[in-house]
Amino acid sequence: MPDPTQLDLTYDFILRTFVKHGQAPHFTDIGRAFGVSPDEGRRLLHDLMAAGLPNWLFPSTDLIVSFAPFNNVPTHYRISIDGQQKWFAQCGLESLAMSWLFPDKPILVEAPCLDCGEPVRVTVRNGVIEREDPRGIRFYVDVPLREWGANLPFA
Amino acid sequence: MNLFRSEEHARRWSGYRAEAAAGLLLLADAMDVMSVPRFRERLSGHYVSSAPASRPAFVERLKAVSRGDPFWDPTPR
Repeated sequence: MPDPTQLDLTYDFILRTFVKHGQAPHFTDIGRAFGVSPDEGRRLLHDLMAAGLPNWLFPSTDLIVSFAPFNNVPTHYRISIDGQQKWFAQCGLESLAMSWLFPDKPILVEAPCLDCGEPVRVTVRNGVIEREDPRGIRFYVDVPLREWGANLPFA
Repeated sequence: MNLFRSEEHARRWSGYRAEAAAGLLLLADAMDVMSVPRFRERLSGHYVSSAPASRPAFVERLKAVSRGDPFWDPTPR
């Protein structure tokens, strides 16, 4: 395996910050983590966000809004681990991928059904659905996959 | 990209479009899609470098789950 690139390192730092704190780092945190100036930290952030991954900033700012599978702005996909709810998932699909970031932990996804407002609850551990309440939960997206890239927040 | 209590709830939702019915997946199938290396290996330390190589397996899993429905085809028209 070749040495990780700076994009790999920046990505890893941001993702692990979400895992630990439930929030995105600021670019000054990125700069500090890599021993560079705030301006250089800002550049590292923007370089990563231009890499074509499902991550985005708030328009015209340097603030992370979403970094799959996490969201830095609250969504209706609340994630709890060990009884602590401090994470939000980017969407219903990414909520299912959350368990890969917390090995061996049961991940509780809670969201209101957009049709009726009643709760949807899924517990996932290491990629295995351990519980779904109610049974028969469905995932739905109305945007074809080929159009996701054009407007990820909308999809 | 949402979770619903049942297929009936999804079809009754105001945002549901009959022409996008192929966007409905069983929860187990959605979990299957999100279990490919592209999502499983985000903490690998090489995620950005390996992302292009992980895309084909993601597309193949989508094809398998959707039985090749064009809704899940990533190729631009």
